[in-house]
Amino acid sequence: MIEFRNVGKTYKSLLGSAVKAVEEFSLVIAEGEVLGIAGPNGAGKSTLIAMLLGYLRPTTGTVDIDGMPARAYVEAHGIGYLSELIGINPKWRADTALVRYATLAGVPEADLARTVDGLIERLGLGEHRKKKIKALSKGNLQRLGLAQALLREEKILVLDEPTHGLDPLWTQKFRDIVGELRRPDRIILIASHNLDELQRLADRVVIMDRGRLQRVVSTGYDEAPQSAGTYRLSMASGHDLVVECFPGAIAAGRGEFDVTISELAELNRGLAELIGRGALVASVVPARSVLEQQFREAVGETR
Amino acid sequence: MTKGRLGRYALWQFRDFATDRAIAILIIGTLMGYLAVEPIRRLMGPGWAGNPQLPLARIVASVASSLTTLAVLIALNGMISQDRKRGYYRFLFAKPVSPLLYYAQLFLVHLAGVLAAMAVLTGVFSFFVAPFSVKNILMYTLVVYFAMGGIGFFISAATRFDWVTLAAVWVGSRVLRGLFGDEQGIRGQLVKLLPPVHKVDDVAASLLSDGTAPMGDLAWLVGYGALFFVLGLVVLRQRSLAS
Repeated sequence: MIEFRNVGKTYKSLLGSAVKAVEEFSLVIAEGEVLGIAGPNGAGKSTLIAMLLGYLRPTTGTVDIDGMPARAYVEAHGIGYLSELIGINPKWRADTALVRYATLAGVPEADLARTVDGLIERLGLGEHRKKKIKALSKGNLQRLGLAQALLREEKILVLDEPTHGLDPLWTQKFRDIVGELRRPDRIILIASHNLDELQRLADRVVIMDRGRLQRVVSTGYDEAPQSAGTYRLSMASGHDLVVECFPGAIAAGRGEFDVTISELAELNRGLAELIGRGALVASVVPARSVLEQQFREAVGETR
Repeated sequence: MTKGRLGRYALWQFRDFATDRAIAILIIGTLMGYLAVEPIRRLMGPGWAGNPQLPLARIVASVASSLTTLAVLIALNGMISQDRKRGYYRFLFAKPVSPLLYYAQLFLVHLAGVLAAMAVLTGVFSFFVAPFSVKNILMYTLVVYFAMGGIGFFISAATRFDWVTLAAVWVGSRVLRGLFGDEQGIRGQLVKLLPPVHKVDDVAASLLSDGTAPMGDLAWLVGYGALFFVLGLVVLRQRSLAS
């Protein structure tokens, strides 16, 4: 279990001015959970993660992991961590960098080669394994960063902007990997600007802004909107019927319309009429996800 | 368990030292030695090394003394601060490793590296130029590493610009001691707190010539360095890895 208790971090300059990066942040994260952390730039996400790893000391409050101070836990057990900025010595080779990290992580000597080779294959780095770090592309470096985070079966994984720089194929593969990493005794933290990604991967998403926890949003189906909202209709045919069945519908181009309704029954009535009159509906999806809606509200409220 | 992991990792630390810093020490050392000896060799003509008028031992001692200081400076440069500045600490210390033990081990690995590089250099010079005691130079390197290295370790733990600061402290101490070391007032007393750089010359002169050194001077130099090494560990423990 990870427990942030009234955590705050204030940066002070030499001239005496102070910037509060995180304020009064309290949260408990239980085993088995995938928690997303969302927030605009400068919201305090990276500072929060640095305090979780013990790289920064909180100015106020405490961060505990399994009842131990965060840094003590990391030194005793380790955490699988992919940082937003990949800091690996550019002179190292990709495969030997993994061997080094595996050595520090405590992978037994006899398992080193198998572990490293397995991750290199899993993350598609085979043809780049002999390259120096400075010769790797952003995407390959990101995958190498992810590989070093997965060297050991860590109980806690912290992934900061994990799909940054990945192409769509590897973004999808990353999502599959996170799915495989889910375990009842494991906590996975994912900080991302990509709300769609968090919606897909996380059980709950913490929305931060200006250093404060604004909201905690559950992303499960149970949380789907039951009443008012805007939906996007994609029409295969019968475009001209949409405005008749949904007064106030707004054309969004390419045969799509945004329809704002006050309750689900209204949406269903309109769709039934549309289909009854011969229109072909290709898809109906919320124009904004629950998370996106909540994010806009939470961040908008503080701006 | 941490010690076992770190022990295995020492080989990688040594490899980094060999590929980065040892090469620099060898190139600079070769150049320094060549530049010091070549003009004399030309001037003296054939059989120059056997010329009893030539104070070869003093020349070698002078070059060895300067080179040792430079080699130690190269070995210490960015030992801790570089990982902070470049963000290497993020992946390193997410692993179950104590930064304190990691850098204490790195300090010793770099010592081994400096000794190895100096052994190669002095061995080659001793063979090709003039026979002198490699053992004495290595003993002197050991003393300078602990004296200067302890202070360097502390500075690297505390600041981002460590080698510049260390060079400034080292040279500044020498200058200030020269200027105010004999004064009786507060200024003279304060200067006495600076690193005992002035003792390096005496230690170098005696260690490099006959392999002995005044115990008092040795204790001062090594003790001062050891004190700052411990202070460096305290800074590492107290100061956040991130900034």
